[in-house]
Amino acid sequence: MRSRQGVVRGRPLSLQIDGRVIEAYEGETLAAAMLAVDARVFRRDTQDRPRGLFCNMGVCSECLVDVTQAGQPTRRLRACVTDVQADMVVSTTRAET
Amino acid sequence: MRSVDVLVIGGGLVGCATACRLAGAGASVELIEASYLNAGASGANAGSLHFQIERRFLENGDALADQAAQILSLNRLAIDEWRGLEAELGDSLHVHMRGGLMVAQTPQELALLEAKVARETAGGLPSRLIDGEEARAIAPVLSPSIVAASYLESEGHADPKALTLAFAAEAERQGARLSLGARAVAARRVHDGYEITVETGRTRSSIRASKVLIAAGAWSGRMGELFNLHLPIFPVALLMNVTERAPPLIDQLIQHVGRRLSMKQAYAGNILIGGGWPSRMRLDASGRFDPGQQADLIETSLRGNLAVAVDVAPQVAQLNLIRSWTAVTAVTADQLPLVGEVPQAPGVYVAAGGSAFTLGPTFARLLARQILDEPEDRLRLFSPARFSHLNSFMGMAGA
Repeated sequence: MRSRQGVVRGRPLSLQIDGRVIEAYEGETLAAAMLAVDARVFRRDTQDRPRGLFCNMGVCSECLVDVTQAGQPTRRLRACVTDVQADMVVSTTRAET
Repeated sequence: MRSVDVLVIGGGLVGCATACRLAGAGASVELIEASYLNAGASGANAGSLHFQIERRFLENGDALADQAAQILSLNRLAIDEWRGLEAELGDSLHVHMRGGLMVAQTPQELALLEAKVARETAGGLPSRLIDGEEARAIAPVLSPSIVAASYLESEGHADPKALTLAFAAEAERQGARLSLGARAVAARRVHDGYEITVETGRTRSSIRASKVLIAAGAWSGRMGELFNLHLPIFPVALLMNVTERAPPLIDQLIQHVGRRLSMKQAYAGNILIGGGWPSRMRLDASGRFDPGQQADLIETSLRGNLAVAVDVAPQVAQLNLIRSWTAVTAVTADQLPLVGEVPQAPGVYVAAGGSAFTLGPTFARLLARQILDEPEDRLRLFSPARFSHLNSFMGMAGA
């Protein structure tokens, strides 16, 4: 859910979260884009329990997700401090060892 | 007024472990801790169990290295001590003794490594010089740039968050009293020992003790002043770093003979990276170093530390750094720990001054024997008597 009133957004773009194509806007963080479509599970712990966004300011690393972009190896990034880019492929399902 | 056989000042590893040994031997013991248990270097270090001669002993010339080699007898005792700790205190300590490698990348570093292994062999420590290929066979994570390593099977790591608390719990079970938030603010000699004034919040109380152990880490010098003593212990602020969890990557403790690095993978999978990179200590209101404040991170230390880590183990570059932290430990004037009775203040003992995660449990065992007047010669090298000249005009007059 996004606020609609009096908000100026960047250009729309789309990316994938766990195989699902979602809409987002330039200038949003990955965490914001995920929460906007109610994708609240960012990763799984060692017992396969879901973990959510916690500090939302780059400190706690609870929101680490795997991000793949064309021509780059998969990187593990903090969703809360990573801006969305078109055609990002995001996975939240990595098994923690 | 409370009265005990031994008052321990400091609720870190050495204080809690010594309290545990003393209480176990039947002494009445109270431990006072100004903050909370494990608050200082005991809980903030990176948990290395390093029994090879430390790099810091090698970078200041042969004389100091020769002297430091004498610590090997204690390192050998510490290996046995660590092998028995989980059986005694429980397996939550995550003691992991699967070997340690101190690596070299240049011909100069290789020469340093050869001299170090020769000193260790002479000192009875079974370290072994191996080439880069063998080092990579033991630890595949190592970079092709590693030309040699010294390998010691018994090295490894353990959990600094768990060890002190395990000793504290055992000390309490043995009857020791642990007083937290209790700060020693004054001391005077009485006929059969010392009377210590303790501040707990706004309350002041007194404890009479036949003997006192100062095990206050970076604060030990200040605590010495309460007894009119100079204890040459200097606070030192360091940097530690930890990555996100990774699949099993590093089974050993990795150190570097020529650069500042300690690296290991903790039980949860996170890789801990340290090695003695400085942080900036803060000053108190009077402009003196204040070990009680969080030291400031120095960015060049962070970059330097991570650069060595990645140079030694390139795969580490793929991991996210999730935290860096600073903490204050202590070194002595001659780098060797300061452990034993202070001649100018009979009944006042000190145990501080570095390497005290690896050596702390051993200090505690031997020091408790000294405090209880049992014959114990193995701490002679670390006796505060070697700094007696500093205290020629100091100390406590008898009552």
